[in-house]
Amino acid sequence: MQLTVGISEMRVSRSAEDTLVTYSLGSCIGVALFDPDAGVGGLIHCMLPLSRLDPDKAKQNPHMFTDTGIPSLIQAVLDRGGTRKRLVAKVAGAASPLNDNGMFKIGERNYTVLRKVLWKNEILIAAEDVGGTIARTMVLTIANGRTTIRTGGKEREL
Amino acid sequence: MSKREEILERIPAIPPLPASATQMLTLVGNTDTQLTDVQRVVEYDPGLVSNLLRLANSAYFGTGGPINSVREAVVRLGIKRVFQIAMTSAVAPLAQQEIRGYDLPRNGLLRHSAATALAVEYLPKRMSMRVPDATYTAGLLHDLGKIVMGSFLEVDSAPITLMAYREKLSFELAEHRVLGTDHAEVGAALLGFWKLPQAVVDAVRWHHAPNAYPHADKTVVDLVHLGEHVARICGTSSSTDGMNYSVCIESLERLRMTPEILEQVAGDVLGSLEEICAIFN
Repeated sequence: MQLTVGISEMRVSRSAEDTLVTYSLGSCIGVALFDPDAGVGGLIHCMLPLSRLDPDKAKQNPHMFTDTGIPSLIQAVLDRGGTRKRLVAKVAGAASPLNDNGMFKIGERNYTVLRKVLWKNEILIAAEDVGGTIARTMVLTIANGRTTIRTGGKEREL
Repeated sequence: MSKREEILERIPAIPPLPASATQMLTLVGNTDTQLTDVQRVVEYDPGLVSNLLRLANSAYFGTGGPINSVREAVVRLGIKRVFQIAMTSAVAPLAQQEIRGYDLPRNGLLRHSAATALAVEYLPKRMSMRVPDATYTAGLLHDLGKIVMGSFLEVDSAPITLMAYREKLSFELAEHRVLGTDHAEVGAALLGFWKLPQAVVDAVRWHHAPNAYPHADKTVVDLVHLGEHVARICGTSSSTDGMNYSVCIESLERLRMTPEILEQVAGDVLGSLEEICAIFN
């Protein structure tokens, strides 16, 4: 079944029939986390870097923010049978407008916060497609952990 | 005839707004309008009645407490708000369509339009500014030109996208190079043809180039320009143009915008967007 991950949402699955997909990753950050041995994986679409911007919103929905969403994704994959040292992380998004003067560096900051959180959790980024000005669609296939990026009608594997 | 003239000449062939929206336009522009006049226009359009009652009871438009009749909605929300809802109801079926030329999936433009309409109201609210009357409607309709070009005129955006990414050009500038016009000019021409208020037409016309708007008070244009960027942060960009636009630094300065406000507004918009879009699905 294809499960759509909306903006500021997360989905985790261990069903080999599932495909997790998230659309329109602009400045947002998308992370696919997969344990190949356990066959469990998750996909998250975080919009903003830091939860301290609005702690109430972060409490209601930790997946809106990268600093609270990524730990939640890691924990959810571990809870469904994943093992931390086997986790493969793939990343997409973090785009910016053309003349980013700092005001809109949300994409870049999302990426910086993500790296910090993954580093703290001893998870390396296996592959990434980040930056630029494009919008991306990210797909994680639970049967094999294959992660693909679609943009402008083209698809490639991460 | 130039490509631009060819495109603009076809605007009168675009289907008109629903009668209720056209009548609301007249009523909102007339200072003598009575609430009963508005009620009569709304009640004549069953689709609008249904959308009005659902939107009037949404968290965003609602005023606290259930609204059960058109009369109650008009009294509690006021004529201007009911007009905005009538415009939303009128353009939703158009904005819901898949727009092949711009590679926008079904509901893609509706989400982007609704997100921008919400952002242009949340931005001034977060800055304790008065929300100018034209902002919501201008935010809602700012990309209508994409429907005209991508659906009715079947413009193929592929060469535009190629040029924009290859030459690092803002998308609307690439449109201009290829077609001699862009979705902002075409959208404004259609809104002018539909006789929308000039402030709305102007904000749509200049939403990618606020500095070129030839008037001193650029508040509405600046809000729509930045509101659209917030809508992109909220993940409503299309796969064609993505975030491939320039941000007007002067708009940021004129509104004294901070990164925190932009991010807070993105959170606000996302909190209301699903509810508004679900009403039309």
